[in-house]
Amino acid sequence: MKSRVLVITSGKGGVGKTTTTANLGTALAMMGKKVVLIDTDIGLRNLDVVMGLENRIVFDIVDALNGHCKLKQALIKDKRFDGLYLLPAAQTKEKTAITPHQMKNLTGQLRDDFDFIIVDCPAGIEQGFRNAIAGADDAVVVATPEVSSVRDADRIIGLLEASGLENCRLIVNRLRSKMVKRGDMMDIGDIIDILSIELLGVVPEDESIVVSTNRGEPAVLEKSSTAGGAYRRIARRIMGEEVPMYSGDEPENIVDKFKKILKLAK
Amino acid sequence: MVSAAVRSVRGEMLIDLQEINTFTEIKEALETQLHSINGYLLGTMVSINIGDKHLTNKQLHEIEDILLDHGLHLKDLIRTSGPLSPADVSSDDNFSIGTMPDYENTLLICRNLRSGQNFFTEGNIVILGDINPGAEIIAGGNILVMGTLKGMAHAGAFGDEKAVITAYRLNPTQLRIANHITRPPDGESIIVNNPEVARIRAGKVVIEKLKI
Repeated sequence: MKSRVLVITSGKGGVGKTTTTANLGTALAMMGKKVVLIDTDIGLRNLDVVMGLENRIVFDIVDALNGHCKLKQALIKDKRFDGLYLLPAAQTKEKTAITPHQMKNLTGQLRDDFDFIIVDCPAGIEQGFRNAIAGADDAVVVATPEVSSVRDADRIIGLLEASGLENCRLIVNRLRSKMVKRGDMMDIGDIIDILSIELLGVVPEDESIVVSTNRGEPAVLEKSSTAGGAYRRIARRIMGEEVPMYSGDEPENIVDKFKKILKLAK
Repeated sequence: MVSAAVRSVRGEMLIDLQEINTFTEIKEALETQLHSINGYLLGTMVSINIGDKHLTNKQLHEIEDILLDHGLHLKDLIRTSGPLSPADVSSDDNFSIGTMPDYENTLLICRNLRSGQNFFTEGNIVILGDINPGAEIIAGGNILVMGTLKGMAHAGAFGDEKAVITAYRLNPTQLRIANHITRPPDGESIIVNNPEVARIRAGKVVIEKLKI
């Protein structure tokens, strides 16, 4: 299989780029793929914390690109999966410490050893963004069902297209189906109408994400997590499988089931 | 082989080696026992009852090293009978600040270091404040943190294996001394409410209680 470089981006901060990167990477590694996650958020690195690998960092992306160490030395092997690696960002430097040209070379080098290279993009549209998208084949735009997030996603898609990245797909994150049903939240249709790009997946709002993020264990590892399940399905879609889209219906609880049965009986 | 009896008293472990006669047997019994509880009681303080036997300082250190290999700390050596010989009292039980190697210059920092901030000096560093995760301090000499060390500290950066890292509360992301790198074990963290010191012993970074 030809290796793919995916950039996970959003424009707006806090919509779940890092969580998405960690979960998709882990899900693809669970499927036996060789995956490397690159954190390009220099100065505000988080991916290492979310992956639970913070205490293993010795060298980072800036060290690797500036020749202070070999690229292999900066790659951190995941503690759960053999095929999963992390290239952490530097914390004490700035976005300008690396250039888009260096990023392109870097992803090029990694293509030989990995099936998927997933780049976690920082928020914003400045140099950090330009670095992150430099070597990418595909872009995954993450947006939450909020006007501000969708507006920023639209801006990002425009910038991606302008830089020749035509293959953009959308993940709608933190969808609350109850609010959508009440009409208090944008639904998937509204968002697709505005952004008019292919939908890659929908991730429901899930409290277990907070727990798993704090623990440094991606939610895809947790069988019972609804968001984890959504990310596993997205990973299968990335692999080219046909997987039905998340319908927005939450699993019925016993009380609801009972009510339904009573209604039927009447 | 005679086996050692292990008891747990209020979060501390008591290993009874009274019945064992030779030092080689003591070591064997200790290894077997500790192997069976490997990693389970990380960070526990251990008291060893040696009955009426005498241990030399060297033997005591060997026992301490065996315990440290399993993540345990020697708290007490209990003797049930027989007179106390000078060899029983180790002068090196706890590391005291006076034992740090000398360096000419010391940098004093009177504030907290936050994520992304870093300091480097060729001599010692003393910090009156905390070092948060994501912050880095690198010293050619020793590092003394009068606060909580939660970030990364590198002492003896030019290769001095005698350099130490001392903190009022030692809870680092990563510790480096000379060219040794360690990190806390995965899983639940151990909370120690004592000042501690990290230094190199027998080629490994070990963490011990600090005697002030």
